[in-house]
Amino acid sequence: MERDTLRILEMLNQLSLTDTQKEDFLAFCASREQELEVLNAVDTSDVERMVHVMPILTVVREDVASQPFSREDLQRGAPETDEGYWCVPRVVE
Amino acid sequence: MKFYTAKTDAAADRMVVVDDMILTKEMPTAAGSKMLDGYMSLFDAEVVTRLQQAGYAIGGKADVGEFAIDMLGETSYNGTPEADGTLVNASAEILKEGGVTAVVGMDVNGSVRRAAAVNGLVSVKPTYGTVSRYGTIPVACSGETVSVMAKSADECFEVLKAIAGHDDKDGTSLSEEQCAAATAQDAKVCRVAIVKSLTDGVDAQTAEKLAAAKAALSANGVEVCEIEETKLSAARIAWNILMSAELCNNVSRYDGVKYGYRSQNFTNIDELYTNSRTEAFGDLLKTAILFGSDTLSTENYMKVYDKALRMRRVIAEAFDAIFAQYDAVLAPVCAKTAYTTEDVKADRYLSFTENLYTAPASITGLPTVVAGGVQLIGKAFSEGALLAAAKLFEKEGE
Amino acid sequence: MRYETVIGLEVHVELATKSKIFCSCNAKYGAGPNEHVCPACCGMPGMLPVVNKRVVDYGMKAGMMLNCHINRTTTFDKKSYYYPDLPCAYQTTQWFAPVAVNGTVEIETSKGKKSVRIKQIHMEEDAGKLVHDIAEDTTHVDFNRTSVPLIEIVSQPDLSSAEEVEAYLERLKMLLRYAKVAECAMEHGTMRCDVNLSVRPEGSDKLGVRTEMKNMNSIEAIKHAIEYETARHIDAIENGTEVLVQETRRWDDIKGKSFAMRNKETAGDYRYFPDPNVMPVVIDDAWFDSIQASLPELPEEKFARYTEELGLSEYDATQLIKSIALCECFEAAYAVCGNAKDAANWMISEIMSILNKRQMTYDMLSINGTALGELIKLVMDGKVGRANGKKILAAMFEDTTIEPVAYAEANGYVMSNDTGLVEKVVKEVIAAEEKAVADYKGGKEKALMSIFGRCMKELKGNCDPQTLRTILTDTLNKM
Repeated sequence: MERDTLRILEMLNQLSLTDTQKEDFLAFCASREQELEVLNAVDTSDVERMVHVMPILTVVREDVASQPFSREDLQRGAPETDEGYWCVPRVVE
Repeated sequence: MKFYTAKTDAAADRMVVVDDMILTKEMPTAAGSKMLDGYMSLFDAEVVTRLQQAGYAIGGKADVGEFAIDMLGETSYNGTPEADGTLVNASAEILKEGGVTAVVGMDVNGSVRRAAAVNGLVSVKPTYGTVSRYGTIPVACSGETVSVMAKSADECFEVLKAIAGHDDKDGTSLSEEQCAAATAQDAKVCRVAIVKSLTDGVDAQTAEKLAAAKAALSANGVEVCEIEETKLSAARIAWNILMSAELCNNVSRYDGVKYGYRSQNFTNIDELYTNSRTEAFGDLLKTAILFGSDTLSTENYMKVYDKALRMRRVIAEAFDAIFAQYDAVLAPVCAKTAYTTEDVKADRYLSFTENLYTAPASITGLPTVVAGGVQLIGKAFSEGALLAAAKLFEKEGE
Repeated sequence: MRYETVIGLEVHVELATKSKIFCSCNAKYGAGPNEHVCPACCGMPGMLPVVNKRVVDYGMKAGMMLNCHINRTTTFDKKSYYYPDLPCAYQTTQWFAPVAVNGTVEIETSKGKKSVRIKQIHMEEDAGKLVHDIAEDTTHVDFNRTSVPLIEIVSQPDLSSAEEVEAYLERLKMLLRYAKVAECAMEHGTMRCDVNLSVRPEGSDKLGVRTEMKNMNSIEAIKHAIEYETARHIDAIENGTEVLVQETRRWDDIKGKSFAMRNKETAGDYRYFPDPNVMPVVIDDAWFDSIQASLPELPEEKFARYTEELGLSEYDATQLIKSIALCECFEAAYAVCGNAKDAANWMISEIMSILNKRQMTYDMLSINGTALGELIKLVMDGKVGRANGKKILAAMFEDTTIEPVAYAEANGYVMSNDTGLVEKVVKEVIAAEEKAVADYKGGKEKALMSIFGRCMKELKGNCDPQTLRTILTDTLNKM
């Protein structure tokens, strides 16, 4: 992995690594890339991808509305609220 | 290390502890992360409700490693190493202390199974979909399972029966009939396979435990054969990809806005996000997030993530082939019988390689029972039979 | 050189369901901040998504209305990015197997008819709302709209002018409103539109640099934005005023200009992957057939039936098919009263004009068509005078439970067949209106109207005008 790719990954995931952590991570990725060869040795071109381990279908829900949780409870642990809203630093449009 | 948040009104005779990945209304749930320190859920997990309905008191919460992806819980933000340097697991310590029937926790990357194995306890990771995940902290939703750890197979079974069953609130929950099949004990384990590629690299004591389990099974008329199947050892590589990608997505919600940890140091929204996450998350979690994100990039999706999804089927089919002839696979749970702080210092990503033994059942959702320091992996809905078979060697681990 | 504009649209439409797509929170617009929120839709851990059946019903129905192929196995995927209106930092949408693909929408403009190809329709959850005008340095976040179901309708780049875009959007609105899956009101934000636009020399088959425009909240704004952006592209190509780059631009309706949005390096890397918590939705034959059976007659089909079978004029038919609510009210009224022309007249000259006066959309009509039919029948049968009929209709607008027959009786709107009463009233009025009577006798025909009017008023309108006229003139002529 390139350092620039890591920089983008950090931005995408809102994380900031120290230089040591960056080195560690690049080494970690190098090992994972090597391991990938084990998977690549298996021809999976005719294998269907398996997203769900159990072959069951969606059970849909009827369209009924309910509101069992109060705003006060939902915002009890919030770092910052005002007039019923959650608050963040101004997002410039 | 914080073992549990004791609840004073808990009745002593039938008490169960849940781990810190399971949401409880009356006790905080932190998933072992500074990000969720003191987080109070507004609702109980379905397993908590079911345990209470079955007459169990919830005695408290057992600490876990940050989002339960580590070896034995050592990455918890509460974590302080034991004096002798041995890695201990909160759930296992609670059980050993006594007074608790079982600990119900999330098996994301095998930590519950490893804890049972190194402590001579019994655990069952049931078939994916038989126990509702409603109210559990999501990490790797496609394979993680609510699991039970206890001192005996019988206690595991008793508690499993209390929590298994269909739940409309979980879209991946199996039907009532399928869940009932998972808690039946009609079938018997008669033929067991030992997969050679999964036993390579274990230490002498672990090899002894395998031999002891094999001997106990054979002595009771169970046929045990050694077979070759190389694909199962690739499960961990595919599982690391799927688990990390799902984890990356699931923990992206922790951003310092709605609840949980917020950095004091920010002037705009990106700094709020980045500083909150950077300050609150530990190293292993950050690594998993970034690695997982990378597997999903436009460039890597087909090469890495999609490949892992296809490997999952290859592994599931390899198990199918084994289960056409055998009722279960006998395998180690980890390469050693104890881990130290030195081990995880020397290799911080040990849980991404030591899961060689736990990933095959994680990635396929198959049931597995740990006893006597080893595990029996079975076909879907065979956990009842696995637990019965495990009774033959559950004392071997002590 | 002459240029042509190539336009493709991404239209987001909020589905008119009662609850949200993956949780049971109320999906209706208009509550106080964060009142329609639960742990799931404010990003707390532990709740799992369970699909609202009606969302799939409506997604399928929209697909059928737009002549799409319906994917019988449709799946949900996660799309990741950070923004304060997205509480989980991911949106659950459909990337790999959307509910509907490969459709068409027929439009008509001054240049004639055209078929616009639809690439796909996918179901997804909406984001929350950010409020910037409460405090100077803080953005306020409201998750009421989070997880409200949306469909995104993606067209192929088949449109070439603001006029075509307008025709396309109007057509989409009409079809989706006919199918009753969505309100499609841009003013409420229940229909939103992103415009992908490029310009190329006429006849060229190579596409130019494409820009995406967001933030237009009316069809007028969209037309204006297309005209502005087309001119900007041509100016850049011809005069080199700027270098066109593929980018997202924000339309500023007040300034009448588009502006490049701050593009992050990470923009567009959404890391889609299948949602492990939502199993594939398989649409079996019974489900598919039930939705197909629920499809409405199309506006054109209604027009043909109204003019050919019911004998309505093209004008009347055109008026009625403007809204499915008008059509349904008309059809129910006609079923009761049996006179299409009368029913259409009531619809157009009374009901539509009341709606217009009250600045209500035709879709907001809540009058029960069967009750309207009963009212029309009362008037047709001479049991209620037309003027009183209108009064009853006005009352029905206020109270949709009113039954016209009972209401007419209770309020004294039933016609009197008692000629004795009419003669008595006529005599009294003649006695009271000495001057008017004298004028009439003196040859002023107009004076008769005021005497007639007063008689009708005394009779509370409950008299057939012809009967009153005969009795009145007979009485006057006999004097």
